[in-house]
Amino acid sequence: MASDGLPPLIASQLNYLLSHHALDVKVEQMWSGNKYYPGVLDRFTIAIPFCLDVIKWDVIYNAESPMSAPDIIFGPEDESFHPFSAKSPKNCNLLDDWNSRDPTRLMALIQELRNQYVDYQRKRVGDVDDARLNFEISTIVFREGIEMALSSGAEKPDEVKFAVPITDMKIDRMVPGCPWRGPPKMYLQVMYPVGKKHVTAPLAPRLKLVSNSELKAFFSIEDVKLPPWSDGMCMAEYLPHLEESLEKQILEAVSLIDVRRRFIEALVPQFGWPLEADPVFCRKATFLAGSGVFTFLVHFMISTQFPKQQPALMLQSCQHLSSQGVPVKSSLMTDYPWSPRWETSQMAERICEFLADEALNFKRHCNESQLQH
Amino acid sequence: MDDLPVEKIAISGPTLASLMQRFSSSSGPIDGLLFGHVSLLTPSTLSDDSSTTTTSSSSSETLIATVTSFLSSSSTSLSFYSPSGRVNPSHLAPSSSSSLLGWFSARRKSPLRPSMREFSVSESLSSLPNLSFPILNSSSSLSPCIFLLLTTPIPDQAIHTHEYRAYQFCASTESFDPKSVDIVNIGPAFRGHYGAFSPNSNFPSLACELRSSAMVEDKKEQEESSSRIKQAAEDQRHLDQCAEGFEIGRLSGLMGSEATNYTAGLEDLYEKMLAKIKNLAREVELSSAKVFEQENHNRKLRQKAARYAGSE
Repeated sequence: MASDGLPPLIASQLNYLLSHHALDVKVEQMWSGNKYYPGVLDRFTIAIPFCLDVIKWDVIYNAESPMSAPDIIFGPEDESFHPFSAKSPKNCNLLDDWNSRDPTRLMALIQELRNQYVDYQRKRVGDVDDARLNFEISTIVFREGIEMALSSGAEKPDEVKFAVPITDMKIDRMVPGCPWRGPPKMYLQVMYPVGKKHVTAPLAPRLKLVSNSELKAFFSIEDVKLPPWSDGMCMAEYLPHLEESLEKQILEAVSLIDVRRRFIEALVPQFGWPLEADPVFCRKATFLAGSGVFTFLVHFMISTQFPKQQPALMLQSCQHLSSQGVPVKSSLMTDYPWSPRWETSQMAERICEFLADEALNFKRHCNESQLQH
Repeated sequence: MDDLPVEKIAISGPTLASLMQRFSSSSGPIDGLLFGHVSLLTPSTLSDDSSTTTTSSSSSETLIATVTSFLSSSSTSLSFYSPSGRVNPSHLAPSSSSSLLGWFSARRKSPLRPSMREFSVSESLSSLPNLSFPILNSSSSLSPCIFLLLTTPIPDQAIHTHEYRAYQFCASTESFDPKSVDIVNIGPAFRGHYGAFSPNSNFPSLACELRSSAMVEDKKEQEESSSRIKQAAEDQRHLDQCAEGFEIGRLSGLMGSEATNYTAGLEDLYEKMLAKIKNLAREVELSSAKVFEQENHNRKLRQKAARYAGSE
């Protein structure tokens, strides 16, 4: 449990925050600020995702009085962030009417503070004196869920970062049996260098596509080729191009799932029904095979580039254990006769032929490793 | 209205030590009010101290805030402000002898920068108009804008055991300006303090114009002066109690043949005073032991209550 050592009232609030926040809030470290009970933890650092990065805030409770509202210490670079300043009357009731028995309070507080932090960063970016940037903001600020931040440090030049959510494709609905809770989030990260007045031609921003790890199951975001950013372009112009090409690539990736499924089905006449197979994204399948009395498993690992890229194979003996007590496995095999232009049935046949020879090598390998022990 | 910038914040060694002692002996975080005075000092460039050659003589006058005392409150019950950091002015009774300069917050194992609540409290405190106080040697005034932050480092193996930083809260920019802290000491650097020294102990002011009051005709004023006489007599009695058995009259024994006896009498007086101080110290020791015991007891009850509330 993340909250071991916290007083129960504080623990229930933290647990609620960790399990119910829409974003993936994490606890970085926990410690105690009490003199007499160093085992009773009452302060912790939380990392909150923001603008494809995290912000770290220290939450300071008081173990002596766990019923009191906590205090927050923001990061050293956010000295001018004052969410509850008297000049901008905000919802102080969150703190003034603190009810320690309500486990949702900490999450409500953090959510309110994050919302204000988004506004604070947007204002900071808006205050940057840069004509191109001001134009970008005026054209893109209405896009839902956009976040921006001004990062300035002593050693690196100032930079404005945008996190632009892209494509509202319901990918989870396009893949039958998809286990995701919702469509995966994809963002375009756009980074503008600012503050270089002497540069005559504005530099193109740095671009990067980012998604959560779920998408990896059938679509590799690193392999997406970004459309070029031509001179004098702005984000509002660029994004439709990107979204169009991205949608095409995602549709293709969805269609490739079926190609992989047909391949697995084509293996059935050769190997029999699979012991185990990934029914949603069709990336993995395991079959039982035999050569004489020697029985072994064949693992197929099918990349998202299939059929361009051949599946990686691995054999696992059912009869030999290594000295650690785990079944003996072969190394990954990716270099065997293959052509993406073959029919799936021919692919299956060729793999079967290759394995008939390979099984003998693997059997020898298993027996040798057995003898060594 | 914006506050004048304070050049630096001075605090006497015993006051800072006592503040740190209060912090390190408390089980949790503490906070409280800082008292003292702010004065406009003209740095003297004249020096009879040969060891220093004062070349950096800034001719302008500097504003120095001197912290002379503090009032700490246990923070288990949020003291003079609400959980969101709004100050409750009715909790701040005006003090006669020294001005309210600002406040301090001391919390263990936390970063040495003001927190969200500390910002709000400072902002609220410096915005209350009736808390402004006059600057000595000057016609302007200042709001309680001083904030002293004390922490201990988060890693246990740190070399420092205590860290502190002083700030002036600037209302117009909504920010904390870090200020250097001077521990008041003897030496040429503190020459200005002697010029601006103002005692703040509660030594009774003796009414010296007793005789002139007889001239006053007005009845009402006479009544007033009679109460003043009463007050003076009362003060005199307190003073005599301190110097028990050693009346003003005996000062005449300072000279002549009685001088030897006088020394013995003076020694006697000092001994009596020492005995009194010892008694007092003993009483303080016993009472603080009782306070400590009670605080321990309270803490245990609180822990029990919190555990009960959490397990419900």
